[in-house]
Amino acid sequence: MALLLRATGTRMKPTVLTMAARLLMIGSVAAGLGIAQGAVTDTAMAQSSVSGGANVVQPPAATPKRLREIVHADISTRSVQVTSSFTGTEIIVFGSIEHGRPEHAASEDLYDVVVVLEGTPEKLVARRKSNVVGLWINTQSMTFESVPSYYAISSTRPLDEIASPLVLRNHDIGFDKVRMLPVGGWESGITTADLRKFKEAVIRLKNSSGLYVQSDYGVVFVGGASLFRTTIDLPANVPVGNLNARVMLFRKGQMLSQFKSQVRMQRQGIERYLHDFAFGYPLLYGITAVIVAAGAGLAASSYFNRRRA
Amino acid sequence: MHFYLPIAEMSANIFIFLGMGGAVGFLSGMFGVGGGFLMTPLLIFSGIPPAVAVGTEAAQIVASSVSGAIAQWRRNNVDFKMGTVLLAGGLVGSVFGVQLVVLLRAAGQFDMVVALSYVTFLGIIGSLMMIESINSIRKSRSGKSTSGRRPGQHSWIHGLPLKMRFHRSKLYISAIPPLIIGGLVGVLAAIMGVGGGFIMVPAMIYLLRVPTNVVVGTSLFQIMFVTAATTILHAYQNHTVDIVLALLLMIGGVIGAQFGAVAGEKLKGEQLRFLLAGLVIAVCIKMAWGLIGTPDEFYSIGRAIGGGH
Repeated sequence: MALLLRATGTRMKPTVLTMAARLLMIGSVAAGLGIAQGAVTDTAMAQSSVSGGANVVQPPAATPKRLREIVHADISTRSVQVTSSFTGTEIIVFGSIEHGRPEHAASEDLYDVVVVLEGTPEKLVARRKSNVVGLWINTQSMTFESVPSYYAISSTRPLDEIASPLVLRNHDIGFDKVRMLPVGGWESGITTADLRKFKEAVIRLKNSSGLYVQSDYGVVFVGGASLFRTTIDLPANVPVGNLNARVMLFRKGQMLSQFKSQVRMQRQGIERYLHDFAFGYPLLYGITAVIVAAGAGLAASSYFNRRRA
Repeated sequence: MHFYLPIAEMSANIFIFLGMGGAVGFLSGMFGVGGGFLMTPLLIFSGIPPAVAVGTEAAQIVASSVSGAIAQWRRNNVDFKMGTVLLAGGLVGSVFGVQLVVLLRAAGQFDMVVALSYVTFLGIIGSLMMIESINSIRKSRSGKSTSGRRPGQHSWIHGLPLKMRFHRSKLYISAIPPLIIGGLVGVLAAIMGVGGGFIMVPAMIYLLRVPTNVVVGTSLFQIMFVTAATTILHAYQNHTVDIVLALLLMIGGVIGAQFGAVAGEKLKGEQLRFLLAGLVIAVCIKMAWGLIGTPDEFYSIGRAIGGGH
């Protein structure tokens, strides 16, 4: 059964259509082979997970009775194409818990799943305005070395109910837990209060432009306790760059297993051509822009001249 | 229908920008002005980053000034010698202005300087036009004929060295004032995304005493080349020319201008100037409010310039 499923799994392109099929597949594989499999480390999972649902099949390892829970997941869209008609997209992350014990699904021993989708870190400047002789002018600024351009969190419950702030910080979960280091470090005379205010401002502004999004009950379990899914909105203003996805399984405030994957996001078609032209050959691009503009002006003047004559 | 703008990096409804180009084109056709001083603020109000608005608008002005200059040249209304002197100053001003934009963007003060420049120039021009048009409307109501140009006087300008003979304008004046005027217009073109006709035309009439029939053609000749140079420099140094956005504005602008010219023939000169003055003052107030009004958000974020793309 596993072989058959693997064959179909690799042949199919990861599209939303096949997503449902794979969701079912992962579930049945996990249920069917679950007992026979051993614990697999996080990193091994991350590497093997690239080939879609087939990653579930792992060589069995000798392990005692109590098997560790493992989270398996996949993403509906492995590659986001930013074309001229790009208006944002939706990314579906789905997966299952292997070795999940149903008795734990009751009461306080619930499994929790946290899905984090992070954009490429970028160098960012935050500026603060103050009133200078009646005008609101940028007077203070802070440059951060690497701030995720986009950050989406989706979880089964509010984060503070899932784990302690320390655990969340250790796993970089949450906007305020994201490492933001100012360029120049502490030598540039930054106070802790300033840093906190600037960090809060970055989070607030990213949040209001839809780039930092959090969905407290975004991850839902379907068909019992072992299958879950969530939908993450990728708006059109997300800076173009690869995204890192992490799916983390928690219970009793501790992380049990983690799955990592990447979503490729790149420009395509005319969009890519124009962007590469503008940044790769800026002088030629500028000259082309002028030729296009002058041509448009000439065409307009000759057209309307002929019409009037 | 949406189109992802390659340089502005946002998904835009193409009809909004076609319409915006059309509306400003209509006004510029009706009033006989370039329209850059209305288009750039409108682009900024609609969420285009100010630097991209300025760079892109320079490309659009190339298109509109090419068709305008050709029409004037056909009627032999261009003083090429005067135009070349103005252009020499304009190119120096443009190079200087673009360097200033580079520095101001790095310092995080560009948006403020753009707004401040607009408030200053629109405020002065708008009030002067308003006063002048009200006076002439009053005069025409009381039955008196409106006075034309005052007789030429010997001003300080005639005492300057480097005198040149401008045959088409029937002038024998120093080359220094046109160089300075051209230079100032070049700086404004680079910083504000305008052609600068609103400064150059009155300066040529009142300071240089260029005959009114060659003023518009000669200034369009200068604007065409200065905005072309500005477009190339912005593309080369700031990567802020969005060719897709510029094309949308050009198409809308060309069509709008044709209808505007027809509408303009049905209105009296004083009434036209009064309406235009009202519009200029409205844009000025909106810009000023952004500088004076207490902002809802004191912080702003942006990608650090100099960081990789």
